[in-house]
Amino acid sequence: MGTLREILPSPKTSSSTFYDHSSDPWFKERYGGEPAEAAAGKLAGPAKPVPPYGKRTGFVPRRPEDFGDGGAFPEILLAQYPLGMGRRDDKGGSKILALTVDAQGSVAFDAVVKQGENAKKIVYSKHSDIVPKIATADSEAVEDEEYDKEVEETKERTVAALQKIVNVRLSAAQPKNVPTHDSESKFIKYKPSQQSAAFNSGAKERIIRMSEMASDPLDPPKFKHKRVPRASGSPPVPVMHSPPRPVTVKDQQDWKIPPCISNWKNPKGYTIPLDKRLAADGRGLQEVQINDNFAKLSEALYVAEQKAREAVQMRSKVQRELMLKEKERKEQELRALAQKARMERSGAPPPSTGMPVGGGRERERERVDDGDADMDLEQPREQRRETREEREARIERDRIREERRRERERERRLEAKEAAGTHKKSKLTRDRDRDVGEKVALGMAHTGAKTGEVMYDQRLFNQDKGMDSGFGADDQYNLYSKGLFTAQSSMSSLYRPKKDGDSEVYGGDADEQLDKVMKTERFKPDKAFTGAPERAGKRDRPVEFDKQEEADPFGLDQFLTEVKKGKKAVDKIGGGGTMKASGGSSRDDYEGGGSGRSRINFERGGR
Amino acid sequence: RFSTSALMERLPSRWPKPVWHAPWKNYRVISGHLGWVRSIAFDPGNEWFCTGSADRTIKIWDLASGTLKLTLTGHIEQVRGLAVSQRHTYLFSAGDDKQVKCWDLEQNKVIRSYHGHLSGVYCLALHPTIDVLLTGGRDSVCRVWDIRTKAHVSALTGHDNTVCSVFARPTDPQVVTGSHDTTIKFWDLVAGKTMCTLTHHKKSVRAMALHPKEKSFASASADNIKKWSLPKGEFLHNMLSQQKTILNAMAVNEDGVLATAGDNGSMWFWDWKSGHNFQQEQTIVQPGSLESEACIYALSYDNSGSRLVTCEADKTIKMWKEDLTATPETHPVNFKPPKDIRRY
Repeated sequence: MGTLREILPSPKTSSSTFYDHSSDPWFKERYGGEPAEAAAGKLAGPAKPVPPYGKRTGFVPRRPEDFGDGGAFPEILLAQYPLGMGRRDDKGGSKILALTVDAQGSVAFDAVVKQGENAKKIVYSKHSDIVPKIATADSEAVEDEEYDKEVEETKERTVAALQKIVNVRLSAAQPKNVPTHDSESKFIKYKPSQQSAAFNSGAKERIIRMSEMASDPLDPPKFKHKRVPRASGSPPVPVMHSPPRPVTVKDQQDWKIPPCISNWKNPKGYTIPLDKRLAADGRGLQEVQINDNFAKLSEALYVAEQKAREAVQMRSKVQRELMLKEKERKEQELRALAQKARMERSGAPPPSTGMPVGGGRERERERVDDGDADMDLEQPREQRRETREEREARIERDRIREERRRERERERRLEAKEAAGTHKKSKLTRDRDRDVGEKVALGMAHTGAKTGEVMYDQRLFNQDKGMDSGFGADDQYNLYSKGLFTAQSSMSSLYRPKKDGDSEVYGGDADEQLDKVMKTERFKPDKAFTGAPERAGKRDRPVEFDKQEEADPFGLDQFLTEVKKGKKAVDKIGGGGTMKASGGSSRDDYEGGGSGRSRINFERGGR
Repeated sequence: RFSTSALMERLPSRWPKPVWHAPWKNYRVISGHLGWVRSIAFDPGNEWFCTGSADRTIKIWDLASGTLKLTLTGHIEQVRGLAVSQRHTYLFSAGDDKQVKCWDLEQNKVIRSYHGHLSGVYCLALHPTIDVLLTGGRDSVCRVWDIRTKAHVSALTGHDNTVCSVFARPTDPQVVTGSHDTTIKFWDLVAGKTMCTLTHHKKSVRAMALHPKEKSFASASADNIKKWSLPKGEFLHNMLSQQKTILNAMAVNEDGVLATAGDNGSMWFWDWKSGHNFQQEQTIVQPGSLESEACIYALSYDNSGSRLVTCEADKTIKMWKEDLTATPETHPVNFKPPKDIRRY
C-alpha cells in the first residue's frame, strides 16, 4: 500500500481540508492522540471489552463506555442510553407530579392544585382554611411606618407599570408619536464556537454590521392579528364549601315553572288544550278573599229590615189604636148628637129650668138623656092627668111629627149620601139623573104613561114641505128632506173656509194671487238641455222617447232586411244561444253596428 | 396537641365577647327620587352625599339637613355606582347604559367618559393612592381606567359571571372583586392577573366591606357573611347568624359596627370583632308604596362613621343614627358563644 502512495502524485491540497480528527474527543479516546495521554491513565484499549453476542447474559450497560463502539443492546431489556442519547431530562415538563411530603409528614395532596399557573397564586386547599378562627390582636398589629413605606413603594411600582401600559395604548392610537429609530448601524464582534481553519478562513472572530432595514412608517401591518380563542383561564381552584344541598321534592315543586304559553302569540300554531292555556294564569295560586264588609253589609241590611218591620208593626198598631179611639170618640159624638137631635125633634120638653140653658154639649146630652128618662117616667103620670081628647090630639101630633121626622131623615140621608160621593147614589137619584135615551135603552122609559098626552117627535114639526108635496119618484132619495147640517145651528161646529178669508193676510184679491202662483215662470229653465227637444206641452207619460227618423242614403236598412229575409226562419233555432260571439248586443235584429269586424255566423251543420 | 393553624382558636369559649354598641334608629326619611335609589357616595369633606337612582339622575343632598342641593342628569339608564374622588373634585358614576362618567363638581358637568364596557356597569371603586378607576359589570371583567387620559389600562378577566362588587386598596392585593359566580378574586394590578380566588361562598357575593382600620374585610352573600384577613385572604369566620335574604349592601365603620341590608328590607347590625348580631331592623316603606318595595339597595356610613344612610326601593333615602340614650343596661347584649363553630 505504501508503494501506491509513492507512485501516485502528491495531492495538490493539503490534507487539512478533511475533518481534523485529531481534536475530536471520541477519536482521542479510542485511539489515544499521543502516547503520553494514553499512558496517563488510560489503557491501550477500552477498559472492558464489550461482550460479544451470545455471551451477554448478566451484562448491564449503564455507563457510556459500556456500550463500546455501538449502540444499545436490544436483547438486554433495560433502558439504555448509549452516548447519553435519548435520555429525557425533564424537557417539556412531565405530566407526573412527584408526591411530596411536608415537614409534618403528611402528604401534600394539593400539589395537584398548586402546580402550573397556580404555583404563583395563593390557593386554599386545606380543611384548616374553612375552619373559623379568631384573628388575635397581635397578628393584626399594623406598624405604621412600615406600612406607609410599603404603600409608597407599591404605589410607585404600580404607577410605573400602568403608565407603561397607558403609553403603549396612547401611542398605538397616535402614529405621530412613533419613536424615531437611529439609522446608524451597529457593529458586533462575534466569536463563533466552531473554530478551525476550515471555518471563517481561519479567523477567530467575525464582525457583523447590524443596520435597521428602512421600513415605511405608514405601512399597514404586515401580519394579520388572528383572533385566537382564549386560552383556558387559570386552573381551577378547590371549592371551599359544602356541595349544594340536594333539592327536596317540595322545593322542586315549588319552583316548577310551567312552560310559557302566550295568550297572544302562537307562531307555530300549536294546538294546546285549554287547561294548559290557562295553567300559567295563576288561578290556583290566588286566594279569593272576600272582604268582611260584605258580611257586615248583609247583616246590617237584615237588622235594618227587622227594625223596619218592627217599626212598621208598631206604627200600624198604634195607628190602629188611634183609629179605634178616634172611631170610638166619633161614635160617641155622633151618638150624642143623635141623641140630642132626637130629643130636639121629638119636641122633648125643654130641659127643666133648673138646668142651665147654655150648657156644654155633653151636659145637654146628659140632660137630654136625663130628660128623656124623666119624660118616660113622667109620661104615665101625665096620662092620668090628660083627658082622652088631649091624648088623641097628642097622638095625632106625634104621628105627624114622626112622619115629618122620617121624611126629614130620609132627605138628610139622601143629601149626605149625595154629598159623600157619587157611588152612593140611591136608586131614585140614579133614575132621576138618567138621560131619556138611556132610559129607552134600558126599557125604563115611560112613554106618556104619566102625563097621558100623546108625545110627538119634535122633528116632525116645522118641516119645509107640507103634506101636499106628494110622494116623490121611486128612485128619489127623499128619506131626508133637508141636509143634515143645514138644520143645525148657524154656529156650526164645522169649519167652512171663506173664499177671501185670508185676503187681508196675504194681500187682497185671492184670484190674482192664485193666477200668479199657477202661471209662474219660475220653474221653467231659461236654457233647455242640449239635445233634449223643446217640449211645447206637458209630458203625457213618465218617460218619453224620441223617434229618430234619420235619412237612410244608402238604403242599408232595406238591404239588411232583404238579407234577413233570405235566411230561413228555422236556422235561427240553434243560433240563439248566449255563446254567440258578438261585439254588440246579442239581440237578433241588431245587426248594424256591433263590432266592426265581420261576424262569424256559425250555421248548423247537417240538416 | 398541634393545631394546623397558628391563629386557630377552636374552643368556643375563647370566642371574643362582643363589644356593646348603641342601637341604631331611623331619624330622617328623604324622598325626592322618582325611582329606586341604587347607589350612594359621600363627599370627603362630609358636607354632602350623592345618590344615584333608577330615574337616571344623580342627586346631591346636604348631609346635615337632608335637603336637595343639586340634580345631575346625563345617564340614560339606572345609575348603579358612584364614587367621589378624595384628591380631586370629581364624581364618578356608572350605569346600566355601559357609561362611566366623570363629573366635575366645580362646573357640575360631565368632563370625561370612559368607553369600553360591553354591558351594564354594576360597581365602581377608586384606588386610594393612584389615579385609577375600577369598574365591574355584566361583562364579567373588572376594567381599570386611567382617570386623566380616559385610557383603558387593563381588563381583569377571570370571573365567569357579573362582577357585582369591587374595592381597591393601597397595597397588594390592590383590587378585590366579588362576582355572581360566587367567587372573590384578588388581583395584582400591575400584572393584571388573579392573585387568589376565594370560593367559600355558595351564592353570589353582592357586597363587600373593607374595615377602615383593621386589615380585614367582609363579604356578604345570600348564604352568609364571611370575614377574611388581608393580604393573604385567609378565611377568619362567618358571622354568627344568618340573615337568610339576598344581601345587597354592606358597610362597616371605625367603631366596628357592620351593617348589612337585604332585598326584603331587613337591615342587621353586627359587631365586627365577634360576629354577633345585636340589632335587626326592618324598613318601613313610605306611605304610598307597596309592602314589597321594602328593599335596600345601597348603604354607606358617612366619613365620621356616626351616620348611616340607606338607599331603598321605595324611592326614599333613610338616615340612621345611634340612639344615644341607650345604655348597656337598657339594651343588653344577649350573646351566646357558638356552641360548636359552624362551618358552612
